[in-house]
Amino acid sequence: MGRLLVVDSRDLTEYAGGRFLPPLVEDLCRQGHDVTLFLVENGVIAARRGATAGLSFEALSDRGAHILADDVSCRSRGIRELASGVCLSDLDCLADKISDGFDNILWY
Amino acid sequence: MHNDEPILSGRKRVRRVAIVLSTGSYQREAPTTVLRLAEKLLERGIEVNVWAFEEAVTLTNQDQIEHNEPPSLRPVLGDSHAPVGRFIDQLLRAGLHGAKMDWVTCILCAQERGVEKHQMGGAIVGTLGDLWKFVGGADQVIAIPAYR
Repeated sequence: MGRLLVVDSRDLTEYAGGRFLPPLVEDLCRQGHDVTLFLVENGVIAARRGATAGLSFEALSDRGAHILADDVSCRSRGIRELASGVCLSDLDCLADKISDGFDNILWY
Repeated sequence: MHNDEPILSGRKRVRRVAIVLSTGSYQREAPTTVLRLAEKLLERGIEVNVWAFEEAVTLTNQDQIEHNEPPSLRPVLGDSHAPVGRFIDQLLRAGLHGAKMDWVTCILCAQERGVEKHQMGGAIVGTLGDLWKFVGGADQVIAIPAYR
């Protein structure tokens, strides 16, 4: 199975396409892929604890998705507590993962 | 390709990344994120090739200057605000002593916006042929979508 990176840089509620992103990650996990969902820029908004847009993150994490939130993006938006299933990360971690290689990268 | 590269867990280590960027200076955070990521990749010895098109061709406009902040904001933000191009220039220079970054600006997009003759030193005005070679030679391709 593949090693896949999905980067979400948009607020999931800002564009209509955002609501398809969590189901996409879920489907990829269900197919057996190793999926990393990296939240950056406005993508971290859904990762704020209590945000309804991020309610699916815990289930995605349980399915095996690695959900990471960029620290700079979180700090600049005053996000101190993350939704269940989301881990605080940074671009060093993203660069490490990219240097190890992905079969595909989707930047949303 | 890199047939002699070390293999990590059955996967070749990435040595070259192509980034396709279409966002300009004052639209979205994407240029800043790309440059933050490019810096981290360069630190890891990974070659970074950026293809800038549409509004992204204005990022390397050498005529952009630092602009002064309003007096009331200077205690917080400092006296002036550097354009993103300054960051690009620093990364291009960093390549002199480590992994290199190439920055190619789409000639058609630059001509349409009147910035073809105003590109900073180090930025290369190129064609879709350069994009083709960047993508073909990359171990990893990152395409940043345009959205407004």
